[in-house]
Amino acid sequence: MAKFVYLFALALFWASFVSFAEEKVVEHSMLMDHGDGHLMDMEGGMVMGQNKDKLPGGCDKISEDTQITVRAGHKYSKKFPGTMFAFDEQEWRFKPCARLTINFINEDHVRHQWMMHGLPKYIYDKGMFHLEVTGPAKISGTLILPKEDKTYLVHCDIAQHMEKGMKGQLIVGKGSGFFPSIPGVTDLAIPDNYGPQQAATMPSAETQPPTESFLSGSLIIGLVIGLFGAPALIRIAQDRFKGMTAKEVMAYVLTLARELVNALARFIAWLYRLATRQNKLLPKK
Amino acid sequence: MQKHSLVFLFGFALWSLSAGVGAVTTPPASAKVDLGEAEPFCNSGVPPEWRKAQVLEGVAIQESRVCDPDNPAEIAAFVKGTNNISMQTLMDTKLAADALTMTNDMDGDGDPDHIIIKLETMELNGHSPDFPGVVPTFDIAPGIQPGFWVFAPKTRDMSTTSFATVQANSLLRLPSPPIRVEQGDVVWLVVENSHYFPHSIHLHGVDHPFMDHGGEGNDGVGQTSQMDIMPGQSKTYVIRPRHAGTMYYHCHVQPHTHIPMGLAGMFIVEENRPNNWVQTFNIGAGQVRHPSVAVKEKYSQEYDLHYQSIDKELHKMIQSANDPRLIAKAMNQEYDITDADDDYFVLNGRSFPYTLRESLIVVDPNEKVKLRVLSGHTEAMGLHTHGHKATETHYDGVEQNPGAQITRDVFTLLPAQRLDLELNTTNDGLHSYGPGIWMFHDHVEKAFTTDGMGEGGSISLIVYKSFLDENGTPKTHGMDLKPYFTKKYWERKIPVWQDWADDWGSLGEPAAPAVAPGKTATPAEVSSSSPWGRLFTGFLLGLFGYFLYLNRERLKALSAQLVSQLKSKK
Repeated sequence: MAKFVYLFALALFWASFVSFAEEKVVEHSMLMDHGDGHLMDMEGGMVMGQNKDKLPGGCDKISEDTQITVRAGHKYSKKFPGTMFAFDEQEWRFKPCARLTINFINEDHVRHQWMMHGLPKYIYDKGMFHLEVTGPAKISGTLILPKEDKTYLVHCDIAQHMEKGMKGQLIVGKGSGFFPSIPGVTDLAIPDNYGPQQAATMPSAETQPPTESFLSGSLIIGLVIGLFGAPALIRIAQDRFKGMTAKEVMAYVLTLARELVNALARFIAWLYRLATRQNKLLPKK
Repeated sequence: MQKHSLVFLFGFALWSLSAGVGAVTTPPASAKVDLGEAEPFCNSGVPPEWRKAQVLEGVAIQESRVCDPDNPAEIAAFVKGTNNISMQTLMDTKLAADALTMTNDMDGDGDPDHIIIKLETMELNGHSPDFPGVVPTFDIAPGIQPGFWVFAPKTRDMSTTSFATVQANSLLRLPSPPIRVEQGDVVWLVVENSHYFPHSIHLHGVDHPFMDHGGEGNDGVGQTSQMDIMPGQSKTYVIRPRHAGTMYYHCHVQPHTHIPMGLAGMFIVEENRPNNWVQTFNIGAGQVRHPSVAVKEKYSQEYDLHYQSIDKELHKMIQSANDPRLIAKAMNQEYDITDADDDYFVLNGRSFPYTLRESLIVVDPNEKVKLRVLSGHTEAMGLHTHGHKATETHYDGVEQNPGAQITRDVFTLLPAQRLDLELNTTNDGLHSYGPGIWMFHDHVEKAFTTDGMGEGGSISLIVYKSFLDENGTPKTHGMDLKPYFTKKYWERKIPVWQDWADDWGSLGEPAAPAVAPGKTATPAEVSSSSPWGRLFTGFLLGLFGYFLYLNRERLKALSAQLVSQLKSKK
């Protein structure tokens, strides 16, 4: 019987705990310092790469003190069809050498991270600044941004969170390009197929191109052009090369070929830009 | 076929000409197929101390002689709870600080009775919209990366081992880890659904109330108990199991796909004993390096064996799109399990030869070893032990009358069934035939292949210590295992017997037939070119025709001359 009473009390405690936790955002501010800017508490709150005073190379002084609040959760994916998790903003811009405090509020009941990569490793362990907390909760961290114009990847590294939308970029100065697949900012590098025959289920039953006989339609068209176009071509060539030596003719033909190749290369580059719609591509993670 | 018709005609013509000559046609000699890159048997890179028997944080940890043993720091954390170990030990793991909280010795017998276990749902080998590969990776065999979903202990930091690789960190793996609690513990099983689909936990066979005391559903079945746990949400299952035994937990959302996808694991309730700190998680299953008090009363060692089967088409679906709606449609509305066949078979998340790195049963003579077996297959399995007959002691977590227990060498398991076995290594000609390297495997033939390529599947070994070197490599006496550690072997590119019969490869691969002489090859090339190429060919032929036409008078004269010359010779 005594056991039962205990269980009941436990259940009551749990029920009250749950109902309060639903509403309240827990603030993780009592963190234990593990050195090297690594702070942690026993509820799973974590800051890595905290730096309030070490100036990155090239910075004479802190250019400005600034703060942002980033919210994270399933509900922020609402405006981006095809995603499941997101930050409330996807892009942040700052001056070089700014001291930035990020207040990270996770509104889900799972872990989320605000993880920044590519920072100088002599200040930031593994080149990383990282906030992590299980929601609903808030955690804050501070870092000093380097002097160089650069675009930094910001994401949640929990499996599939970045892929399913929790991705952004932090641009220092003019930045250095854009990352792909940021909701509302850049397109997926590998787009999904929304056609009627959805690719996900199709076993790789690739249709073989039909084998054509030697005398195909295009070959016959070419044959006709060659046969009847030849007199005209010869006339044109005779007009153009009249009075030229064989050497001159050769040089002329070679120049023509070079120009043709250049034009082709430009066309391919143009196609590539069109396909990626980027001026500059950063290496993917 | 059409494009070869000219080749064929020429070839036939040549052949009919040579028929009278009586030349012998020799079949092609064997060509040696290069193996490509082979991984070493053991590349786990773990510190050798991890394999030794040791005491850490007051937790006795048994020796584990395999290539890839469990991290002792993690075992200490799983036994004591992340709240009862030093910060250093916690930092030596990838666990979240709140992953496992053990408090409150309610019955005063020296062990904690209130256990809070936090699980996350994780995707392995998932799609990336940024590059063609998958992330975070978990290979079941060289180069084989089906997509999986697993329950994992709550971790911290990155999913991958580092920013430089896409390899999943060691806590994120198949199978979902066996979970151990003590009989009578108050267990809060917290599921934080960090995956993009709804999930739940159904505690199959584990004593649990249908509703918890707060009035919430506790059975994990969306249709009858409580709405599924949505992405970003969490749910706590509250149990206090009264009966001990080998049980099961699995997701009950669209279970015909979610169980095969990997959201299933063993749930073991250990008998209540004084001062009984049980090892809450057994990452990757296999050897339990800190067996419970009750198990140690009868056995020297304990192993968890979780068998799973994988239909590669299902597991590819999460890799073929990024949009969760497209994946949901493919899995829920298009995939038809009644038309499905399994392709991969894994033991504790790996197929042969990777099973040899972590799922060996390492024994000495005269030992009694407890094996807990779970069939996560979609169809029946028949587990066979070479060199041993083991005794079936428990079915689905219930002890069989000791007088009626059966000793045999093929053990039948239907999907979701659990079987406890007593493996006795006494060399008596019945229980054991003596020291050696003895295979154990599901004897359903396709289960010892990997997508039909043998020997693969869930084969592993019972190895006596005298047949095992320091780094966990079995001293095998047969063939070189190297081909099994190449990707090419599993891509079906390596003739299985090419090196074995003799040095000229009498069972190798016949060299590809020599290409037919130049003349016959040309038309084939032409016909295989693109429409533009054909247009150009046509154009050239047209020009040639025109020049023939221009010079027709000269040609006529030439041919007339040739004819007359021939005639005059006659």
